[in-house]
Amino acid sequence: MGIDLKALKEQENRRRVSKGYMWALFCAVFWGIWYLPGTVIWVLNPFDEMFGAIAETNGDGVSLVVTAALITAFNALTVMLALMLWNGVLQKFGELSRTLREFSPCSKWFFLASVFGGPIAILGSFMAMGFIGGAFAAVAALLYPVIGSILAYYWYGEKITKRAAAGIIVIIIGGITIFGGGLITELGTGNVPWIGYLGGLMAAVGWGIEGAIAGKGLDISEPDVGLTLRFLGENIIWWIIIVPILAIVGFPMYTYALQAFEPMALLVLIFAGITFGFCYVSWYKSFPLIGVGRGQGIGNLYGFFAVIFIFLFFGDVPQWTILLGGTLCIIGSFVMFTEEAAEIETLRG
Amino acid sequence: MGKNRPIKFRILELFLDGEEHWNYEIVSKIQEEYNMQGNYGRDSINFDIIELASGGMLRDLEQRVDEEGIYKKGFLLHKYVITDFGKVRGSDACVRYV
Repeated sequence: MGIDLKALKEQENRRRVSKGYMWALFCAVFWGIWYLPGTVIWVLNPFDEMFGAIAETNGDGVSLVVTAALITAFNALTVMLALMLWNGVLQKFGELSRTLREFSPCSKWFFLASVFGGPIAILGSFMAMGFIGGAFAAVAALLYPVIGSILAYYWYGEKITKRAAAGIIVIIIGGITIFGGGLITELGTGNVPWIGYLGGLMAAVGWGIEGAIAGKGLDISEPDVGLTLRFLGENIIWWIIIVPILAIVGFPMYTYALQAFEPMALLVLIFAGITFGFCYVSWYKSFPLIGVGRGQGIGNLYGFFAVIFIFLFFGDVPQWTILLGGTLCIIGSFVMFTEEAAEIETLRG
Repeated sequence: MGKNRPIKFRILELFLDGEEHWNYEIVSKIQEEYNMQGNYGRDSINFDIIELASGGMLRDLEQRVDEEGIYKKGFLLHKYVITDFGKVRGSDACVRYV
């Protein structure tokens, strides 16, 4: 009897851990793939035309941000479609409406998270992809755990252990390498794509803040449902607030938005939506199984995957500073996260 | 009460009595309340409990083998109790109903 129980416990644990690693790895692969459609969309019409048209009247910088806004809005829309399909398959529409109605304990956190996730992190990522490149955008965002843990320190007084601090330092050195490497060469030529760098920073800061906020609502709701609400929030921000405001200010948002419904652009956008939607879902699925720490650590391998996929599909080899910096960030995130995972059964409390 | 609230709220609410509960007791109660009969409903409710435990809101106290098949024959049954953190999060979410 006793042996039976022990064997079963081990079996259950093994099953749980291997499933958890599988989800985390799915997340990393999907997240890495996302940078392919994210980079390709910039050279497709109507976005290519849109960038050119607005650049003529308002300059490259403004045009880049406005075009990135429309791309991000479409990204949010296709992610939402993918998640609705996912919730349908899982039969979670009932839970979706139950959770939506709990504004005070749950939904407000998802909407707040979407403010930082959408118009800051994802917009920033698209800006970095458009102006510097997919590999830079992917690797720059690897800095997000630093922001997340500093926020957690100030907000809920979560301790930063020596080990976490060591990880943070490694990640920051990685970050300096990623940003500094390109900057030094560009400063020499006097042609610095500042907006791209700003986008990279926005991605890291936005995702760091989003993580800290979203955790508050996600721990008492179902992740599939919570994430859908977070993207519902983002769609509201883009399609009801930002896109109309940009249109009122005089940018031809709707003209180009309507043109996006052509096969090639639509296909790439849907590809972006599916990869991004499922990377979020599988990320959250991994947490209860292997712990937030390991889940995030393995999830961060997306940086590697992005660089590899970009190389395979576009043949681009990123600068050595991006490769070195990215490696440092991934090592740093493992140093930071693995300590927490020691107590895998309970993460808090 | 409870029926129109998200499932995890309801699970926490059931644990807020401070007693120890076996997962199969909670799962079958929720299955009945939310009309989620069948293996899929059962497993997804149980996963919610696992998530609450991994979030530090429930503590896994004890396991035994399901010999009779009251839940899933040959698998482990888990007994949980709410933690202090779970009480705080649970009453934040459920306070209007308690």
